[in-house]
Parts: sequence; structure tokens; C-alpha cells
Amino acid sequence: MNKHLSYIFIFLLIISLWSCDKGIEPGEPKGPGGFSGKVTFIGNWPSGVTRTHLVVFKNPIQSSDDFFPPNLTFVADSIPYRTTSFEYNSFENNFIPIFQLGYGNFKYVVVAQSKTQNLSLDRKDWYVVGIYCINNDQSKAATLIVEPNKITPNINIVVDFNNPPPQPPM
Amino acid sequence: MKINYSHKLTILLLLFCSIKSYAQTNSIKGKVISDKAQPVIGANVILVGTTIGDAANEKGIFEIKNVQYGIYELEISAIGYEKRKVSNFRVNESTKPLTVVLKETAFETEQVVVSASKFEQRVEDLTVSTTIIKPDYINRRNFLTFDDVLRYIPGVQMNLEQVSIRGSSGYSKGVGARVLVAINGIPLYAGDNGDVVWELIPLSDIERVEVIKGPASSLYGSSAIGGVINIITKSTSKSSLFYFKSYIGTFDKPKHTEWRWDDSYRTFYGAELNHSNSIEDFSYTLSLKKFDNMSYRQNDYSKRYLAHLKLHYNFTPENYLMFFSNYLYSNRGNFLYWKNSQKALVPKDEETGNYVKSNRIFNGLIYHHEFNREFSGELKTSYYRTQFDGYGIEHTTSIASLFRAEFITNYIISNKFTLTSGVEASYADVKSNIFTNPEFFGSGAYIQSEFKGVKDLIVTTGFRYDYIKLDTTAGKNAFTPRLGLNYKYSDYLIFRASLGTGFRAPTPAEVFTTAGVGGGVDVKQNPNLTSESSIAFEIGTQYKPYENLFFDFAFYQTDFNNFIEPNLTKDGDIQFINLSKARIQGFEAITDWSILENELKLIFGYNYMWARDIAKNRAMKYRPRNIVYAQLKYSPTPFDFGIDFRYLSKVEEIDFALVEPPLALVVDGEKRVPIFVTDLSASYSFLIGSAPIRLNLNAKNIFNYYYVEFIGNLAPLRNFSISTEIYF
Repeated sequence: MNKHLSYIFIFLLIISLWSCDKGIEPGEPKGPGGFSGKVTFIGNWPSGVTRTHLVVFKNPIQSSDDFFPPNLTFVADSIPYRTTSFEYNSFENNFIPIFQLGYGNFKYVVVAQSKTQNLSLDRKDWYVVGIYCINNDQSKAATLIVEPNKITPNINIVVDFNNPPPQPPM
Repeated sequence: MKINYSHKLTILLLLFCSIKSYAQTNSIKGKVISDKAQPVIGANVILVGTTIGDAANEKGIFEIKNVQYGIYELEISAIGYEKRKVSNFRVNESTKPLTVVLKETAFETEQVVVSASKFEQRVEDLTVSTTIIKPDYINRRNFLTFDDVLRYIPGVQMNLEQVSIRGSSGYSKGVGARVLVAINGIPLYAGDNGDVVWELIPLSDIERVEVIKGPASSLYGSSAIGGVINIITKSTSKSSLFYFKSYIGTFDKPKHTEWRWDDSYRTFYGAELNHSNSIEDFSYTLSLKKFDNMSYRQNDYSKRYLAHLKLHYNFTPENYLMFFSNYLYSNRGNFLYWKNSQKALVPKDEETGNYVKSNRIFNGLIYHHEFNREFSGELKTSYYRTQFDGYGIEHTTSIASLFRAEFITNYIISNKFTLTSGVEASYADVKSNIFTNPEFFGSGAYIQSEFKGVKDLIVTTGFRYDYIKLDTTAGKNAFTPRLGLNYKYSDYLIFRASLGTGFRAPTPAEVFTTAGVGGGVDVKQNPNLTSESSIAFEIGTQYKPYENLFFDFAFYQTDFNNFIEPNLTKDGDIQFINLSKARIQGFEAITDWSILENELKLIFGYNYMWARDIAKNRAMKYRPRNIVYAQLKYSPTPFDFGIDFRYLSKVEEIDFALVEPPLALVVDGEKRVPIFVTDLSASYSFLIGSAPIRLNLNAKNIFNYYYVEFIGNLAPLRNFSISTEIYF
């Protein structure tokens, strides 16, 4: 029994010493990052549009649940109806101030439009009209990389009303 | 030859007479008292190796007469106390009276009667896992509030102030407890948010704590879906008894200089005076306590006063009336989340200076009547009034009054069949600017039987019906049946199994809260919230291969429907919603090993738990998979030394919505680690006159491990304290 007791003592001692002054440590100070760019519109605007926003999602939308926070991470100010181009900066044009972009990789950045009178975060009330993409191929979404304390430039999106992108699942 | 024999016989007779005439004797007199200075009636005092001894009388006094001069070893024992030996006790003409102090046993595993099932049962007869805690452990460890005690019970987990038994709760600021905490069987949950305020529990008046693991709704109704913690207060003293305790302690400074926000050492201190006495059939206990804590964190201070009164009147030895009242005043800072991990001991800017003042009074009245030996009844009524005012960006306020009455009958139909039944009703009235002004009404009726008709088998069946009506929401019904089996295979091996159901009605706070939690995020009402329900089973065994070694194993599973948890809504607000389905499965093993009788003891507990949201197939928030507790106690009288160790694996799921963009309400809130905490304790007991005194030294989190139980809340740093207890 004494032998077993020694093992228990040794086990507890190792575990305890291993934990000395360990655990959570202060992280590196990291401020929020941002991004900027231009949205260009080609073609005629559809009628009845009540709001148009540039919207950032952490991951591509797989279901309607992905259309709202926490996957939805940023909404830019509303783009005026029939605008041909809109320059933005995420720090200056944050439509929902309590939403903080922070930093990291964001895999689905789109321009979306809605025709509802009141603001809704239901997927069915929105349709995507432009995607931040690779080589103008709207079927291949590009990843927005935001680093702490930096503004990532040239996040440009072309909205071609004559050539709408694929819609994410409802 | 004849001359030879008669000569020898004469010499022997002469020797015998001379021995007899020179064998001087004296009495061993003394007193056996408990470490609370109370006489230990019936304590056995024997001379080791003989059958000579005596039993202590009603004053704890004993006398062993005609003991020949010499050196002896005395053994003193009594049920419920640790056995003691007094070595090298010399009996001669100057032998003085002896005072022996017996300590109550700390953790009990058998031969203890519990009443959490609303009638008295031996622990070994129970059909569910149960742990009993005795007050000695609480005092020796200098736990300041009751929630600290619970952190060291296998299968029980604390997330800040919220208790969880086998994963029943995550964290929701104490709102909507799933473990029913009761004092003398009377539930102690507030009328508005259903939380338990641990500071309201008078630690100095605890006789024992019964922790029932698993749903107990079939007896206790809503809130007992995860288990029951029943706190039994002490019997009032038969003679005048004072108890005084004071303590002072300090927190160490953090290793990381970024965290040092105050150059001075932060302290905590308190004092308590307790008096108990009897006048014929009337007895009382009164205690006053003040306890302050500067805290290791900024704006996390607390200043509290607790008053506890208990009155007891015996009409006859079997029929009594008991009244108790606890009053708590609290003024504390309101630390919600750290600023960030660089400023982990400082609150967010908008929370600096926020504070909460509260007044709470909890009154209970119990009348017990035995109609005859077989049939008894008990009426339990209570009134719990809570009031708090939170001062911050907004002023929040709530006043809740909760009235409750329960009538229990216990009928011993035969020595094989016992029937327990009861009815209860409760009503709550809330006036609040965050919970609106809802009313709550609940009623229930239950019946439970214990059948011992088959040799070595105990069958327990129970059923309860509840009706709950919360203000304007539709009334809800709940049926909660239960079945339990206990089979005593041998004196060393006991099997148990139980299948039970539970339910929990949403509290007014979960349905009606409308408040800001900072960062522009609000908590919103959900009038559509419905009751959650559960079905649980457990199989377990107790195995005692040796007198000093005890094992308890249990497998358990609980399935929840409509599990209520706070969630982020589509509008970016927090709302309590019903999850579709959740399942918790686990295994628990507890060992209690007295390595050296009454001197060296090891308690080891391990709990593996897999708690998951079935619909989303992911872990439930704030439930660690592995929990280990180890307690080693070495008690060479008059000292006590203890090491307590606990390990909780890193929780997989937290409130990511509050931590990650876009809300990022708690900066660096994702920082979490496995928990390793080691505590050391040492006690020295001695007498001044006949007054037992104990000095306790405690070093908690001795290796200064930094961890969180909840996002953005660094747990207490290494701290040291000294406490003194005197009974007179």
C-alpha cells in the first residue's frame, strides 16, 4: 500500500509542479483590422430594391443559419439606389457599430440586396448580386485577409446585374 | 514430598497476598467532548487489549475504576466521530482527569442517515449516487462561501457561481438553476431569476450536506432536474455554547506584470459569533457574521453581513416546531468580463464603478408531528424575499417575494413498506424593471414508496404531478415518475439502478428579462419558452473489499428535451431558447481509502462526461469531459494536514458568439485552459481550559495556476489565509 501511496504522491507532485505559474497568459495586444475598396455596378438596377449592402461572412453560406451572426461579421453602410460605384472603408462605413470585424480570414464577401421595408436578417429576404472573387469568376469566392492594426486595400467587387452570381442555399 | 508441596503453597499464598496488598489502583476519569465542545454521549473509552472501559454519560463524563498503576493505551470511539487513541497514559496516585476531543468524520460513505428523499434512509440503501459532507471539512479548509465547498465534490462542477451536477448546467449567470439547493428540505431559489445565493447559507450551522446526483423532480419538482443539494442544520445545543471564528487572508500578486493593477496585497477577512442554548424544551441558535473581500480583481470587492436565527421548541420528544431565518446584506462591485487578456484583472471600461446592493431574507418554518410510531407528518413553509439594485449605465432593480408551503406524510405500513407523500404550492410576485412584473404559481403532489419485501432488495417507486403557471404564459403540466433498485449482494457489494424523469419550468428571468449586457447587446424576452424535460438512468455499485477501502462506480445518461440555454438571435441579441435535444453520458468512480486508520486518508474521484447538443452534434457549453478530484489527509493528533487537487479538462464549447466577431464582446474570451488547482491546509487543535481551539492555515491554488471557469473571468490567484475557531 505504501508503494501505491508513493505513486499517488509522485503523480500529484508532477501534476502540481507542472502547473506552477502556468495557465492563461496575457496575449499580444492586437487592435482591430479593416479593409477598403470599391464596388462597381454594371447594368440596370432592379426595381423595388430598398437596401444594398456589402456584407462579410466568416464562411460561405451552407444554410440559412449561416446568414446571421456569428457567421455574419460585418455590414457596410447602405449603398444608394442606382449608384454606379461606391468606395468604402470598413472603419468609416460600419452600418452596425456593435459588429466588430476584428481580424482573421473571411471567406465570403458579397454585395447583397433586399426589397423588404424593414431590415431583416432572414436569408430568404436577400439575394446576392456580387461576390469578391478570384479572376472575376463569381463561382470562386476569394478570401479576405484582415490583419490586426492594418487596413487591407483593394477589396473590389463588380456587380453585373446582367450576369448575377450563384445564389447561396436558402 | 508433602512438606515440599505445602511449603510451596504457603509461599505462593504469601506472594499472592503481598501482590494484592501492593497492587495499587486509581480511576481513569475524564470527559469526551466533540470539537464543538459538546459532550459526546455514549462515547466508549476502553483500555486497549482489555475489555475494561466505560461509556460517557449525558455530560460526556466517564470513569474507569480500579485500574492498576501502569502505562496504558486508551481507545475512544463514538459513531459519527473519528476514533482516537491516547498512548502512554500513566495511571498512578497523581493521575489527572482526561479531556478527549473527538472530531466529526468529514466524508461519510455508509451508516449515515440521509433525508434528501424526504424520509430517513441509510446512504447504503439509496438508489442514486450520493455524497455526504460533514462540517469539519468545511471549517478546516476555511471555505468562505458554500459554493467553494462544492468545487471539491466528485461529479459537481462550479462555473463561477452556477452549480452543475454531472453536466446539468452550463453558465447563465445563475439564472434558472438545474440543481435544487435546500436548507432542511426547503428550496432556496429566488422568486425572480431562480438563482441560489451561496452567501446566504450559514456555514457554521451545517450538520451535514447531502448531494444527490441525478434528477429528483419526482420528489422536488422543477429545478431538481440535475440533482439536489440538501443542507441540514445542526441541532441546537443542550447547554450554553459560543462559537467564534475569525479569518484573514491575502491574494498573491500575479506573475505577469501586465496584470498588476494594484501595488498592495489584496485581502479578505471576516468574523463570526454563534451562540446556542436551551431552556427546557426551547432552544435557539443565533449567529452574526461579517465578511469582506477586496478581491484580486478591480471592482470585484464585496462587503457582506449575514444574520442567522434558529428557534426550536419540543412539544414532546417527537413533536417539534422549528423556525429559522437568514438575512444577508451585500454590497459588491460588478465585474462581468475582463478588459482583455493583457488587463485580465481589470473590468471593461464601461463596467468600472458598477456595483450591486442587495438584501435577502429567507424564513423557514417546520412543524413535525408524529401521530404514532408508524405515521408522521411535517408542514414546511417558507418566505423568501430578495431585493437587488444594480448601479451602472442603467439602474436595474428587482424585488421578488416567494411563498411556499409543503405538507409531507410518512407512513410505515410495515417493516417492509414505507410510503411518503406530499403536496406543495408556491407563489412568487416580482416587481422589476428588467424582468417586468410577472407572477408565478406552482403546485405539485407526489407519492413515493420504498419496498423491502424481497431479501436484500430495495425497490423505490415515485411519481409526481406539477402544474406551473407563469404570468401570461399558458399553464404547464408535468408528470415525473421514477423507479430505483438497490440490491445488497453481500456486506461488501451493493448494486443500484435508477430510472427517472425530470422537468424544469422556465424562470421569470428566462422568459421576461429585458436588459443590456454591454456592447449594445440586449437580453430579450421569450414568452414562447417552454419547460425542459429529461429522462435519466444510472447504474452503480458500491464495493468495500476491506474495512478501510471503499469504491463507488456509476454509469449515467440523461437525455434532455427542450433544454433551455441563452443563445444569440438573428438580431444580435441574447435570448433564452429551447434547444431541441441534448444528451449527457458519463462514468464516475470514487475511492475512499483509509491508508492508516484515523490518520491517513485518500479520497479520489474521477468523472468522464460527454455532453452534447444532438441536433448540432457538438459539445454543450462549459462542460469538461474529464474531472479529477484527489484529497489526501494526514491527521496525527492534534494536527491535520491536507492536500486537495482538482483537474478539469479544457471545455470545448463556450459562448463563441460573445467572443468572436462580429460582437467580440469579451476580448480574448476564447482563452481557456485545462484546470489544475492544488490547495494545502494545516490545522492544529488544542485546549485552553476545556475550550477547544483550532488554528487553520490554508494555501489555495498554491502553484498560482491561471485559469477561467467562465469566459473573461480569471479564477482566484494563489491566496493564503489563517483562521481561528474557538468553542466556549
